Amino acid sequence: MSNAVLDAIRKRRVVREMTDEPVTQAQLEQILDAGRWAPTGGNMRQNRFVVVQDEKIKGLIYQVAPGMFQRPPVIILICTDLGVARAHQISDDSLTFPMDVGKAAQNMALAAHSLGLATGPVTSFSQSAVNRILNLPEAFVPHMFICLGHAAEVSQFNVRPWQRITWRDLTFYDRFPSDSGGE
Amino acid sequence: MSEETSNGIISEDQAVELLALFVSSAQLLMHEPAHYGPLRLLTATERLSAMMLEKATEETRPFLELAIERIPQMHVQMSDVPAYKAGLEELNAAIGDCLVRRAGLEEGASQ
Ligand SMILES: Cc1cc2nc3c(=O)[nH]c(=O)nc-3n(C[C@H](O)[C@H](O)[C@H](O)COP(=O)(O)O)c2cc1C
Repeated sequence: MSNAVLDAIRKRRVVREMTDEPVTQAQLEQILDAGRWAPTGGNMRQNRFVVVQDEKIKGLIYQVAPGMFQRPPVIILICTDLGVARAHQISDDSLTFPMDVGKAAQNMALAAHSLGLATGPVTSFSQSAVNRILNLPEAFVPHMFICLGHAAEVSQFNVRPWQRITWRDLTFYDRFPSDSGGE
Repeated sequence: MSEETSNGIISEDQAVELLALFVSSAQLLMHEPAHYGPLRLLTATERLSAMMLEKATEETRPFLELAIERIPQMHVQMSDVPAYKAGLEELNAAIGDCLVRRAGLEEGASQ
């Protein structure tokens, strides 16, 4: 079976080499809107998106993000605003926050893919250094950068998978048999 | 190496870029997978090589060129352990050769 959503899910790949071609404001806003429509636990809407396009600031982020191999025209930082969480008496380390960041990130990646753009997520960065570089409000926790741009035509930087898998390798039905280590 | 080569090989900006890579990597590696350690060191090697290339001497240049060419290929090979090890072997043989050249120990060298 095939449709536009399933095709986008299957065909999106992380892109680690991008061109200088700019992303238009209209494209950027559509991608941010896709992030906004991601669900959040308790519908708290504590995700915050920081868009970085200034060349100097992007250069500084690159220097404290060992997992960033791209030099993209746009970087979107997805943060959690703990101020919202605290107002709901949810602890700062609630697992819902990184999950909600992941959902927004995937929405944005798929939206970008559908617009012919490329993305690459980066969590390998120093949060402490990024806090200083972006002068983030105290309640903002920076979780993930989405590098956004146009894929370079030839990229040698596609990490080879450890092993090929299908959904069957990942999926179990109902109850585990008693010899499987379950209790 | 008879006397220390002092050709202002990298700028202070470039040196600080490497410092940022070192300290951010150190912080991340406290919780990242073990095999990211070599990855970060190789990223640093590749970046320093690119910074040095313009002013490097003939003795050093071949290693820098190899690092710039090979390391991006190795980044994608992390799941292929024999290929990764072969890449590390090649880089280490090359840095050995580089040290020998710089020390003037090559066979046929005049001193
Ligand atoms: C939570 C998360 C964090 C990631 N962090 C990084 C990163 O710091 N640097 C990077 O190059 N890729 C990063 N990736 C990308 C993965 O390595 C990539 O999704 C995986 O290799 C599969 O590639 P594909 O999405 O093209 O199928 C991250 C992915 C996820 C989901």
